Amino acid sequence: MGASVSHAAAPPPPPPVAPPPPAHPLGLAAVLPPQTEEKDGAAEKVDYMNLPCPVPFEEIQREALMSLKPELFEGMRFDFTKGLNQKFSLSHSVFMGSTEVPSQSMKTVKVPTAHYEFGANYLDPKMMLVGRILTDGRLNARVKWDLTDDLTLKINAQLTNEPHYSQGMFNFDYKGKDYRSQFQIGNNAFYGANYIQSVTPFLSLGTEIFWLGHQRKSGLGFAGRYNTPKWVGTAQVASTGVVALSYVQKVSEKVTLASDFMYNHMTRDVTASFGYDYILRQCRLRGKIDSSGCVAAFLEERLNMGVNFVLSAEIDHVKKDYKFGFGLTVGE
Amino acid sequence: MATRGGGQAASKGKGKKGGKAERKRKPAGKCVKEWTTWAMKKAKVAAHWGFIPLIIVVGMNSEPKPQLFQLLSPV
Repeated sequence: MGASVSHAAAPPPPPPVAPPPPAHPLGLAAVLPPQTEEKDGAAEKVDYMNLPCPVPFEEIQREALMSLKPELFEGMRFDFTKGLNQKFSLSHSVFMGSTEVPSQSMKTVKVPTAHYEFGANYLDPKMMLVGRILTDGRLNARVKWDLTDDLTLKINAQLTNEPHYSQGMFNFDYKGKDYRSQFQIGNNAFYGANYIQSVTPFLSLGTEIFWLGHQRKSGLGFAGRYNTPKWVGTAQVASTGVVALSYVQKVSEKVTLASDFMYNHMTRDVTASFGYDYILRQCRLRGKIDSSGCVAAFLEERLNMGVNFVLSAEIDHVKKDYKFGFGLTVGE
Repeated sequence: MATRGGGQAASKGKGKKGGKAERKRKPAGKCVKEWTTWAMKKAKVAAHWGFIPLIIVVGMNSEPKPQLFQLLSPV
């Protein structure tokens, strides 16, 4: 028995077959899947004349913003959107809750507010007009107009009844083959311009410059974005002393993880946040945790065709500020 | 006489013109700035009152034309 076991344990001599010249070491080739497609892809020469058009400069961090910054609110919200037409719809929105008023001290100052907001939207492939007006007379207007195939005019304005509180911004966007440029004019004599260019099929680099007339401030910034189908990484540096990095990984069709880091040199403020985004069939759940001790979650649940139930929670452990909100969104 | 009258009229005219020119002289840049401020104020009021009606007019005239009661009814 012992003798047969020891014989069985002895490995058989290897067959005298000359192995074909391997591209990879023989051991690895048995373990890894065949890499012929990847090799073809890598061997294919990158056509630098045919790079894809990059995302607009202000949307360079859009994946991170979508996952990490949902519209958290406190109170009750009810939105009703009625479509009259494929392109034209009206919206009615009621909100009752508290809004934060910025204050100097550490304590948060909350003011109870209630308002009704009427909105009208017109969406055309060439022109988009969105207007919202509140009961206190504030108007939020957004216009996006494709003047030609490549030139777009965007207007963003918040108009109030009080003098000197209104804000407006005009943006002229020009889209080239593998670059985008934008020129901005805003109130308070704000002038800005930015330019972003695709450098490789995955990497795009951009720069921006702005000048604020009334405060005689100017700034220069650089940004880079590397995106692959699985992950996106961005970095932004500005002469105002702000460094912002973000990384978003698409773990699967339904799950996305995102992280964000921001450093402000002037105020010595550092914030890092991590979050997840689950896009499921009936709901979308986003959660995040911050280095400033803030935990937030946002749930949008589809109850029925066109009816969404919304829950929002934000807990700031450092400031002892707890914000919970719920709402219903009816309509597309 | 005609020339004296003409001369007097000319000097009077010149005097008047000189005075008027002094009062009206304003740097062109300031004029432009005042007018642009006036225009921006009027444009802001026009946008504030007229933007939502503009969207409604554009929307009601798009194809297929919606009915007026659809605008007002809550259904």
